[in-house]
Amino acid sequence: MLKKKGILHELYTNKILFLMLLPTLLYFLVNNYLPMIGIYYAFVQFDFNTSLFKMDFVGLKNFEFLWKSGKLVELTFNTIGYNIVFIFLGNVLSIFVAILLNDIKGKWFKKISQSILFLPYFVSFVILSVIVFNLFNYEQGVLNTVLQQLGADPVDVYSKPKLWIFFIIMFYLWKNFGYSMVIYLASITGISEDYYEAAKIDGANAFQRAWHITVPMLKNTFVILLLFALGSIMKGQFDLFYQMIGNNGLLFSTTDIIDTYVYRSLRVTFDMGMATAAGVYQSLFGFTLIMIVNAIIRKVNKDYALF
Amino acid sequence: MRRSRMSAAAVAVAMAVFLIAACSSNNDSARPGDADGKSSSILTSRTEGRSGPVVLQFYMLGNAPKDLPIIEERINEMALEDLNVAVKFHYTTWTEWDQKYKLLLSTGRAVDLIFTSDWAFYQQYAHQGAFMALDELLPLAAPKLQAFVPKEMWDAVRIDGRIYTVPSTYKEYVTGGFIWREDLRRKHGLPTPVDLPSFEAYLEGIRQHEPGIQPAAFGSLVDSSIQHAYLEVERKAVGPMPYGLYASYDKPNEIGAYWGTPSHLEDLKKYKSWAEKGYLSKNVLNDPVSMQDQIASGEAAALLSDNPTRYNAMLSQMQAQHPDWDLGYTPFGRSTGYATPVHPMHNGFAIAAGSEHPEEALAFYEKLVTDERYNRLTQYGIEGVHYEVKDGFYHALDKSGFEREGMIGWAWRNPDYMLFEPSYERVQRIFNELDQIQKPDLYTRFVEDYTEYQAERAALEQVVKQYLYPLLAGQIEDVKEGLAIFMEKANEAGLPKIQQSYMKQWKDYLANGIVSNQGEKPQ
Repeated sequence: MLKKKGILHELYTNKILFLMLLPTLLYFLVNNYLPMIGIYYAFVQFDFNTSLFKMDFVGLKNFEFLWKSGKLVELTFNTIGYNIVFIFLGNVLSIFVAILLNDIKGKWFKKISQSILFLPYFVSFVILSVIVFNLFNYEQGVLNTVLQQLGADPVDVYSKPKLWIFFIIMFYLWKNFGYSMVIYLASITGISEDYYEAAKIDGANAFQRAWHITVPMLKNTFVILLLFALGSIMKGQFDLFYQMIGNNGLLFSTTDIIDTYVYRSLRVTFDMGMATAAGVYQSLFGFTLIMIVNAIIRKVNKDYALF
Repeated sequence: MRRSRMSAAAVAVAMAVFLIAACSSNNDSARPGDADGKSSSILTSRTEGRSGPVVLQFYMLGNAPKDLPIIEERINEMALEDLNVAVKFHYTTWTEWDQKYKLLLSTGRAVDLIFTSDWAFYQQYAHQGAFMALDELLPLAAPKLQAFVPKEMWDAVRIDGRIYTVPSTYKEYVTGGFIWREDLRRKHGLPTPVDLPSFEAYLEGIRQHEPGIQPAAFGSLVDSSIQHAYLEVERKAVGPMPYGLYASYDKPNEIGAYWGTPSHLEDLKKYKSWAEKGYLSKNVLNDPVSMQDQIASGEAAALLSDNPTRYNAMLSQMQAQHPDWDLGYTPFGRSTGYATPVHPMHNGFAIAAGSEHPEEALAFYEKLVTDERYNRLTQYGIEGVHYEVKDGFYHALDKSGFEREGMIGWAWRNPDYMLFEPSYERVQRIFNELDQIQKPDLYTRFVEDYTEYQAERAALEQVVKQYLYPLLAGQIEDVKEGLAIFMEKANEAGLPKIQQSYMKQWKDYLANGIVSNQGEKPQ
């Protein structure tokens, strides 16, 4: 019925609402859509002296370096792999701890543990890297000092790439799970007490209440957080990987992601074109992924889809 | 149904925000007044800039000095009177400076004056047009400066025939040399490092007698701290050539591959033996502490290579904490037989291509270099507050204030106005020694043009970090096999193409550029 009267009529009838929407639209237009013109940098030879559209068009030449080293597949696999683990473990852990915290009766204990879990979120990755180095370095690290005290042989942690899969995930969770935990905690606070009381009267124990009431009620928040996270699945946690691994080539096979690769490759090459090309690759990949996942969610349950 | 779900989620997010805000609410109460004060001061400075004189944006690499606002205010008082300009000093800090530098020049930020150096890729940026050519501007805006800098130096910084930077006229050496803890050497009667064998003997002595101290520090960038340093002292390389290429100083024309050759394998085996003996830390690639700091704090006992000025700085920093410790220094020139004074490109100031006030900027820079008041103020601070001159030497008065050369004004050092700390004598002695064996720098002026192979170059960067760095750090068990793998990956990334193009450019440069290069010998 809207179609019949056309968009102008729609604009006229809801003019106040559209007016209220205008600032937001403008905000996104200026900050998120307009800069997309810069994507064109990926297809030109950068030149300091001319404007963007006067630079020489070079086609896909700027993208070449991505596959020249033969690492693109490995890097994409690492980036996505880590992010899937981060999303999955991060959410499961946050939901689990949020439920536990919510059931704790002692107000002070609850507040304190909530804050303690949240605090690592504010630790910078640079500081984290120093902490990690002091834990694991071969000569004076805490780990090896303890091992030697116990009469065991010291371990060179920094030459064992497989071990770092575990460390990276562990430190990511340590640092970030408090944040999503607070979101889940807020969701749980919003669930009506009535359900729990009814369940109690029916004789459900704490586990049953959590599993059959809390978890289903959190599904919505989970899906939204999941979709948000998927949008940036191709964007690795640059700080985390770069600070922990740095220039240690021994660990690259399991810990190098697109972001660190691009940074290292272009550190000495000041070519805006190539840097943009890497960004475009990541964005396109992320865009495709989120469209696919959103479509699947739409198929399964329309209400949960993002759009 | 849908609406209610979405709104439930929105409520959840809002509540989360509320919970987070609650966590940090304590800090907020103190803020408003503080914020007001700041914003109003920014506002006034902006309006001042608009209504009054031209405000020059002055960019330096590195960390801002203490008391910068005081210095800036004084400078602006003088500049307003003399030139009707004001200047705003900006510092990038040393973290990620190369990224910031790139962004400053390529994103259209208002930049008038900016520091340049060969190590900040002056040649490439100039070649690509990031800076303004100064040839016509100099006689108009800064005739005094033009006359002050010798013609040979102007010619030495020319890129594609044009001048893009104002070189520093102060002559120094930034060539390498062995650095070691002299007090430990005396204590255990170890040999003085003068060449590699004696350096290794010293490290061996430290390993035996001082188990708590790392014999040598290298930092995580092992290509410069191990490979290039080693090539400089042991194989007399003409310069730190990229892409595993090598030419000797004596025969620069005979450029060839170094990576993958028997001599490369031999050198890698040497590094491996150092790692096995524990001379270098097993986790050198992850070490977050700079090698200079490791020496100053006593964590490590020696450096394979650093320049005389940094040696002096390390020694001063160290003796401030531990007066009884001492450092020794042997310039590589003593065993190689020559030393190249710093190229005029090493420190300079350019005007960014997008500057709107190039004349004012150059006129101001002229003042900074040639006017004693400007120069001393920006190099040493305020006389009587930050420093005093005693027996012709610089003495710091306020240790917590503006430090000597705190503005990192390497580029506008003027030998006529320079003041040195008494300890500078150590450096001067080394410089005097090197003056006896000086030869011109053949390498720095070379401008590499990598547009042809920039994809390969970027891909190679990763391969080097992944496969060569562990070899340099002696972390690979089978060096021969490791080198074979590295070469295979490097060739896949396009190393031969890069090397061929680079070698051709280098030979062209030697054929055409060497003539004007002769004139570079500083006076």
